[in-house]
Amino acid sequence: MPQFFLNKRLIVLLVSIIVLVALIGFSLRERSKLSWPEQFLKDTVGLVQSLVSKPAHLVAGFFENLQDLQNTYEENKELKSRLEKLVSLEAQVHELEKDNNELRDILGEEETLSDFEPLQATVIGRNPDRWHEMIIINKGKTNGIKKNMAVVTAHGLIGKVKTVNQFSSTVQLLSAMDPKNRISAIVQGETDVFGLVEGYDKEKKALLIKAIPSGVEIKKGQNVITSGLGGVFPKGLQIGKVIEVKPDQYGLNQTALVEPGADFYDLENIIVITRSMAQPNQSDMGESEGKEEDL
Amino acid sequence: MKKFLLPLLFLFLFLLESIFVQYMPPEVFGRNFILAPHFLFAGILFLTIYTGRKYGIIYAAIFGLLFDIVWIEIIGIYFFLFPLVTYLISKIMHVLQTNIIVAWLISLVGISLLELGVYEMDFLIHITTLDFISYIKMRFYPSLILNAVFLLVAAYPLKRHFESFAQSLRDE
Repeated sequence: MPQFFLNKRLIVLLVSIIVLVALIGFSLRERSKLSWPEQFLKDTVGLVQSLVSKPAHLVAGFFENLQDLQNTYEENKELKSRLEKLVSLEAQVHELEKDNNELRDILGEEETLSDFEPLQATVIGRNPDRWHEMIIINKGKTNGIKKNMAVVTAHGLIGKVKTVNQFSSTVQLLSAMDPKNRISAIVQGETDVFGLVEGYDKEKKALLIKAIPSGVEIKKGQNVITSGLGGVFPKGLQIGKVIEVKPDQYGLNQTALVEPGADFYDLENIIVITRSMAQPNQSDMGESEGKEEDL
Repeated sequence: MKKFLLPLLFLFLFLLESIFVQYMPPEVFGRNFILAPHFLFAGILFLTIYTGRKYGIIYAAIFGLLFDIVWIEIIGIYFFLFPLVTYLISKIMHVLQTNIIVAWLISLVGISLLELGVYEMDFLIHITTLDFISYIKMRFYPSLILNAVFLLVAAYPLKRHFESFAQSLRDE
């Protein structure tokens, strides 16, 4: 095809490559919010999506119900056995909660890192590209959603709010590869171990918790929750369970592979979490430092 | 009324991809495959093959931009690759004669080009760290088979629709 390299076409190709690089550079930089044409388009498509997703939810729900009917008997047996344990657990939790509240009253501390307000939302779309694992939900700025809020299902943390539009928002799942996505986590054990969730192993379907000191012993099956120290997420959201621990590249740290508690697929109803405790701003922190010096 | 039929069809394919991914089970045949649907792009390629380059590239650019804004939030990847691959496919179709089997095969070639292009771009900007061999095994082949099956079902209705659209263009 000699005519492919004719001057005009070559110029068009070169110009479009320059435009491409400029556009990617523009959209890759850290943006606090999307430009208004993007927001408008996303909201419009979101509106159509929520219209389409309702019948789709219904159809999918019908097939799920059929599947559920098949193993009702087995499930019922298992649930009954669990119910007995639940009663004693409930009493225990009640007791502990009361204790906790009383002790808090004595200390005079009312807010904790664990306090949050839940906000229900429905998934109306999912990124078909599947490189950038994202879902779109039907609540936006008008419902009080802000950037970086935690998103959970009944089984645990699934991601955080990436961008907010007026009537819809985009949620980035934990399984997405994003070097800016770091979540401060605790591996629960006799002594709590702190680490950062960075990245996702697609082949093993596990989250990676890196930068755990090599002396610390972590066992398979230990629970992992958010620590609340990142400043955005509340404390105590379930992330998953440790399935493997291995030394990192240089042998100085360990990496724990964590199987997420929540299923990143088949998402329908999710909960967006607003942390009640405000993040202290810089000037407050300066003051508290001064107080410590006085002591 | 007929004028709106074409954009509506592509909008439907655009939404169908999302619904498909949302309700697809995470494991297919007990294996950890990543199935990426490219129904929208398959439709655009058929449009190019049956009604000509001009319409194909316009629709490729518009829906590429829409795809980038709504799903990816990085403008440029699909906005660039949709029209480019559409252009290449239209060049190839000058040499070949149009029948439904050739159209099916060439569309699959186009989808593979798109897949590889997106992988290379995402690899460059560190969206993914998947190495090439795992990518081919986990994502490329399974996705190609998925899209081949979709096209097998959709090829004939798409061909009928686009041919009648081309006919109405010629009549005008």
